[in-house]
Amino acid sequence: MNFEKATLLWSMPWDADWVSAVSFIGGKHVAAGNNRGEILLWELPDAPETAPAEAAQAPSDADKGEKPLHSAPPPARQFVGHSNVINRLVSAEDRWLISASNDHTIRYWDLNAPADASAKVILNARAIDEAARSKSSGRKAPPPLAAEIRTQPAAKIIEGQEWIVGLALTHDQSALIAGDDAGTVTIYDRAAGTEKKRWQIKGWAYAVALAPDQKQAVASERFPLVFDSDKHVGLKLWDATTGTMQHDLSKDFKDMKIGAAAYSPDGKVLAIGRGGEADGNNGKVFLIDPATGKKQREFTPGHLNGLTDLCFHPDGQHLLSSGRDTVVRVWNLADGKLVKELGKPRGGQFKDWIHAISLSPDGSRLATADMAGFVHVWEFGS
Amino acid sequence: MNGNCRGPEHISRRALLKGALATTAGVAVANWGGLFSSQTIAAEAQKRGKRCILLWMNGGASQIDTFDMKPGRPTGGPFREIKTKVPGYHMCEYLPRMAVIADRLGIIRSMRTQSPDHPEGIYQMHTCYKQSERMPHPELGAMIAKYLGQADADLPSFVRMGPTGNTGSGYLGPRHEPFSIDRNGKLPSFTSPYLLPAREERRNELLLAMEAEAKQASAADVYESHRVAKERAWRLLRAKSLFDTTKEWPSHEPLYGASEFGRGCFLARKLVEAGVPFVEVGQDNYDSHADNFVCHKANMQVLDPAWSGLLIDLERTGQLEDTLVVWMGEVGRTPTINNRAGRDHFIKGWTVVLAGGGIKGGVVYGSTDADGSDVAENPVSEGDLFATIYTTLGINPRVKHFVGTRPVWATPEGSQPVKELLA
Repeated sequence: MNFEKATLLWSMPWDADWVSAVSFIGGKHVAAGNNRGEILLWELPDAPETAPAEAAQAPSDADKGEKPLHSAPPPARQFVGHSNVINRLVSAEDRWLISASNDHTIRYWDLNAPADASAKVILNARAIDEAARSKSSGRKAPPPLAAEIRTQPAAKIIEGQEWIVGLALTHDQSALIAGDDAGTVTIYDRAAGTEKKRWQIKGWAYAVALAPDQKQAVASERFPLVFDSDKHVGLKLWDATTGTMQHDLSKDFKDMKIGAAAYSPDGKVLAIGRGGEADGNNGKVFLIDPATGKKQREFTPGHLNGLTDLCFHPDGQHLLSSGRDTVVRVWNLADGKLVKELGKPRGGQFKDWIHAISLSPDGSRLATADMAGFVHVWEFGS
Repeated sequence: MNGNCRGPEHISRRALLKGALATTAGVAVANWGGLFSSQTIAAEAQKRGKRCILLWMNGGASQIDTFDMKPGRPTGGPFREIKTKVPGYHMCEYLPRMAVIADRLGIIRSMRTQSPDHPEGIYQMHTCYKQSERMPHPELGAMIAKYLGQADADLPSFVRMGPTGNTGSGYLGPRHEPFSIDRNGKLPSFTSPYLLPAREERRNELLLAMEAEAKQASAADVYESHRVAKERAWRLLRAKSLFDTTKEWPSHEPLYGASEFGRGCFLARKLVEAGVPFVEVGQDNYDSHADNFVCHKANMQVLDPAWSGLLIDLERTGQLEDTLVVWMGEVGRTPTINNRAGRDHFIKGWTVVLAGGGIKGGVVYGSTDADGSDVAENPVSEGDLFATIYTTLGINPRVKHFVGTRPVWATPEGSQPVKELLA
């Protein structure tokens, strides 16, 4: 894979609210969720249309300097049922999409199921609304980007008790781990959706991940008061079969809200990233030896203002990270060097985030959830 | 980084000296408020035996995420509303215990104030006057200490804990300065004698004699301030055990919640029961320019049991009727959610909540527009709020003091109590 040669293929607009989660489903579909609890599904065309010059300029606010190669395809489906922020999306068997939400549920969506009902979405509704609100400034409302979509309810719902913030799959897709703001970490049999193990941590669960052999789990903890003595942050490795703690790494990562975590496909490396609103460039990636809990390496520079998501490349040699600086970074695991930076910081002290990232199963494409109201799809060179 | 503004820190000694040194700036000649003019009012107010606890939300809590929710609007955010004891009125899902006792609350959803930033906002929401007036206005606690405090009490009349106001007693003079302690009841180190009682007493007598001589030589206010502070400390030593909550806290923790703020609220309840007329307890972390929702959610999980526990405890000990509990900060927070997932400072339509002490419960006063971007009806100013507080405590909100020869009133001209909230 040639990460140096990365091309922005599509920037799919969807500005109803912040795009907060994204996942490839197989190599041809991308799903994204937003802060309203809506989920849209796009089918990526085999023979995409080249973007006309003015369409290519359209997303420039969201991605200065990067123009998509192709015209954005319209969304095909909407998965309906969530009523609050979508925090994480994962997929399995090129068929299932699984979502975790602030509405206290995890939902399964089946791409093979029929989507019978139809609906119409305006993909640039916020831009139109904002232009209408600031009429006095002479700002012109853009023409509506309307799309006819099919809607589909969830195939399975797992009820929780609080905001479900953390959600991750094992690499073999057989188990699912979830963490919530009640401080519960739960492991599920992915196919059945049944609970296998559950334990309680201190504070709220933030980032969670389950090792490929399903014997170890990582969970970061937070109770995000700022100055108060009742505030809490922590990071612990757990025996996932018993729910007992193996290593408390809280002192090594003092005062860090760890916002993302992922095990490498071989389970020999655990990557974590500092989230929340970290100072300056301190939204760093750290590599940990899961067996000992010792820090092995940290990648610099960190993401300005905090890291949001992490993803191991299927080649086992690279790691991708995204942040509140609207960039995605590709890192070489062996030497910790930055291989490629995708996107550009949009200027100002704080300017939008890339909330989440997802790689296609073959690792050739990357989808990003852009808070400004886009889902971007990149392709790496071969 | 947390996205919170860090305002300048002030210490009580500085505040104490501020009142005394106001003269040196040529701003005003402090004569401690013209004591002769207000003694009658004080005596009258004291008869009523009212007290006040201020729960200070340092940084400014979000009204939309607590008491003035906008479900389904772009400004609404991720919190959901729940029903309350007041028919038709909903509040945030993370205030479930408060929802159950909402019929005790007087909720003002239409605060429209003048100072959008922290130092000025903290000043103005503690004095009801703008900081820029260059007049040493006393803060709420000092005013209440003056009118409801007992001059000969062992306990201070104005106690504060945690992140609170820092204005001090201003023109009312050092006698009404706040006494600052930790929320766990830990007292300042100067309250711990390091001498045997007999030696301490002899030393104090000597100090008093020397200060009396010094005062004859120079009548400067700083000597008076120091003498008053020492006297208060000596008296306080006699009542020191009241501040120790070690034994009672375990049995009260389930009611107030296992937090430092909850413990502070419990101590406040103890102090007002013992006769302290004004206690301010601060809760920090509200200045959520970033990650507003997780910050507020965590805060509410501390606030909800602590505040409801305080009201319930006051009620079951028969004190709620005479104890006004005020919940407020220096600003509200913007309806608009910024791109740090935060809300910024907002003064065009925010919420203050009163309970007990003569406030009519179950009243929701004023409103904001659909997105919460401005007051829709019944705007309430800082002066109106203070007039409401003073009136319910039996203090004339237009009581006049003198700073030198200049008259100054407890609330600005035109301030009116919100009658709908007065029982």
